[in-house]
Amino acid sequence: MDRSRAPLTLLPAFVAMYLPFCAAEIRPTIVPPDAPAPSLWVEPIDLEDRDLFYGPWGRERAPRPDDRYILVQHKHSGINPGLTVLDSEGREWSVKQASEEGPVEAPIEVVLSRVLAAVGYHQPPVYYLGSFTLVDDWGTRTVAGGRFRAKVKGLKDRGEWSWQQNPFVGTRPYHGLLAILMLFNSSDIKNSNNTLYEFKSARGLEHWYVARDIGTALGTTGRLAPEKGNPDAFERDRFIAGIRDGYVEFDYHGWHQELVRRRLTPDDVRWAGDLLARLSDRQWSDAFRAGGYEPDIAARFIGALRHRIGQTQQLAIGTSAAGRPQER
Amino acid sequence: MAIGPVLVMMAAAMAAPAIAQTPRAPTQESEPAKPSEVGPREGLLPEPHVLRRSIEFTSRVVGSSDRGEAKSGFYPEFSNMVTGAGWISVGPGYRHWFFGDRMLVDGSAAISWRSYKTAQARFELTNLAHSRLAIGSQVRWQDLTQVTYFGEGAVALESNRNEYRMKSTSVVGYSVVRLLRQLAIEGRVGWLGRPELSAPGGTFRRGNMATRDVLPDDPVFTTLRQPSYAYQELLLSLDTRNHRSYPTRGGLYRTGWTRYSDQDEGRFSFRRFEAEGAHFLPMARSHLVLATHGWLVASGANESEIIPFYLLPSLGGHNSLRAYSDFRFHDRNLVVVNAEARVALVTHLDAAAFLDAGNVAPSVGELNFEKTALGIGLRLHTQRATFARFDIAHGQEGWRFFFRTSDPLQLSRLLRRTAAAPFAP
Repeated sequence: MDRSRAPLTLLPAFVAMYLPFCAAEIRPTIVPPDAPAPSLWVEPIDLEDRDLFYGPWGRERAPRPDDRYILVQHKHSGINPGLTVLDSEGREWSVKQASEEGPVEAPIEVVLSRVLAAVGYHQPPVYYLGSFTLVDDWGTRTVAGGRFRAKVKGLKDRGEWSWQQNPFVGTRPYHGLLAILMLFNSSDIKNSNNTLYEFKSARGLEHWYVARDIGTALGTTGRLAPEKGNPDAFERDRFIAGIRDGYVEFDYHGWHQELVRRRLTPDDVRWAGDLLARLSDRQWSDAFRAGGYEPDIAARFIGALRHRIGQTQQLAIGTSAAGRPQER
Repeated sequence: MAIGPVLVMMAAAMAAPAIAQTPRAPTQESEPAKPSEVGPREGLLPEPHVLRRSIEFTSRVVGSSDRGEAKSGFYPEFSNMVTGAGWISVGPGYRHWFFGDRMLVDGSAAISWRSYKTAQARFELTNLAHSRLAIGSQVRWQDLTQVTYFGEGAVALESNRNEYRMKSTSVVGYSVVRLLRQLAIEGRVGWLGRPELSAPGGTFRRGNMATRDVLPDDPVFTTLRQPSYAYQELLLSLDTRNHRSYPTRGGLYRTGWTRYSDQDEGRFSFRRFEAEGAHFLPMARSHLVLATHGWLVASGANESEIIPFYLLPSLGGHNSLRAYSDFRFHDRNLVVVNAEARVALVTHLDAAAFLDAGNVAPSVGELNFEKTALGIGLRLHTQRATFARFDIAHGQEGWRFFFRTSDPLQLSRLLRRTAAAPFAP
């Protein structure tokens, strides 16, 4: 083997890293008439009254901190370690724990889930427990907790959905969701973090388009090793870089920049900011408390988020492209 | 994209342990912590930002695999090659869990710097009888192109260096009974198909003579072809290490008995006894870890029996006597001790000072610690795996410098259940 050719051996690694993230064309898809109605967002008419500590699924569905959880199996996919457990009522929970390296995603995921649910985006039932009692074949002990996501009857996981091709591309809620993720410095905007849920409601079957595994946020944006849950980095990082040709430019360095580059207008971003601005201080505090954050750390994040929301509201009105598809 | 994190990621993957033996077996569950408290232990000095983020990325991509939650799917096989294969090996692997944690199917292949090639497949029922029992089977094919040999005995000269190529296939069935969470008894019954010995080959040849040319009268070469071996092993182990690839507390204590039976004429049959212990003691708020390791191997054979040189216990190299070549000494018995003090310079970089001592001998009573190595080194690691180390060692045969992609006391040979042929420290 020629040593001078050694760098060539890295080429497959580069290709392997980039290929999965090559972007598909961004376009709306048409839903067959007999398919369940797609739903990304529902107008939050009671936004100001929403409980951001227990979230949209409420206190009754929350895991009990004093319960004993029986191990079903370890997690064999994804990046973070985790478990599937059963509580004493027989409810099944997917627990995402912290990796031993670097900041944790689970608390961030819960905070962001609370905020997205509050402003109208569908979210599954997720909660945070700092620790819990695990029962396995070797006995009972207290272990590190994390994000608890309940398996709910009537809410079925139907796989992932595409950021690039879905029924909502071009709609205000779709752009608003991206704007909120930008505002939180969410770097992991990947299809593998999206879940399509089949939900049986009073109106019939619906397909919920959910941005779910969204714990890579509240730090810096980046592809390789973005900071997560770091108030220093989050306060320091820029949100909006400017407006160009009628589109908002974000200081975003994460995956799939094509989703936000020259696609979100000031009206889109301001629409998202207006929704977030309706959240009270109490609601913000509850969202971070739901993720297990100490009040002083939460206050720093909330301050930075408020500052960013202020930026969205300062964007000039009337610079958006006309003829936007209807909201859904 | 910066190249640094990619290189770090690849190196870290090399150090990732192959897989946990049973999912619910020795795991150290993390203690509860608040979000702001979770993170690696700190070093004495502030860590450079670029290093910290590279390690975080590495850990994110490589993930965790020594707590029993190894992921289903494709993985890079970096860690399954014997001593002497060269500084790097790489290949594809695929594993899949079935029925939750209850059944594992795993297959991988790899090729190394010196063109060592290996392929293995494993099937395991991992959690029978409430995790008290695991049974499985593994088959491995390997082509080791440049195995070094210096002759038998502690006085074998370094100038006698020669090499042989060995191809072999081995299959094993095993069962593990877990008496306690960390205490296990394992039984293995295996078959080592006729090893093929030939002149050295592969890449990055060192120009050494073929063993067959140097030792034409050795019983191994006067035999028309090598026999097949049946082997049985019985092992008792207590493993309390927090991580296999970067242990900072706990220990591994094991003892084992092995019987190899020549299936042709019985001439190469022998038995082997092993006792081994490694302990990792954190001190000074974990800024300092004292690592100690001791290993005794005793082989025995009847008067009419001979232990073939490729199955003789051997000593020397990057994870035993670091001032000596790989496979430097061979004899029926060996003893080695290693002591290493590791100071966390920064969160992910340790400085180490070490002492190795040991020897080989024809009988246990003649063993001593005459061969020594003193040295210093640096270890780059995540919180659970050492993925790069640089060691400088000095001993009676001069200086040696190492770059390796694993912890010297990782004991990765213990993850290979198939026949240890050749015997590799």
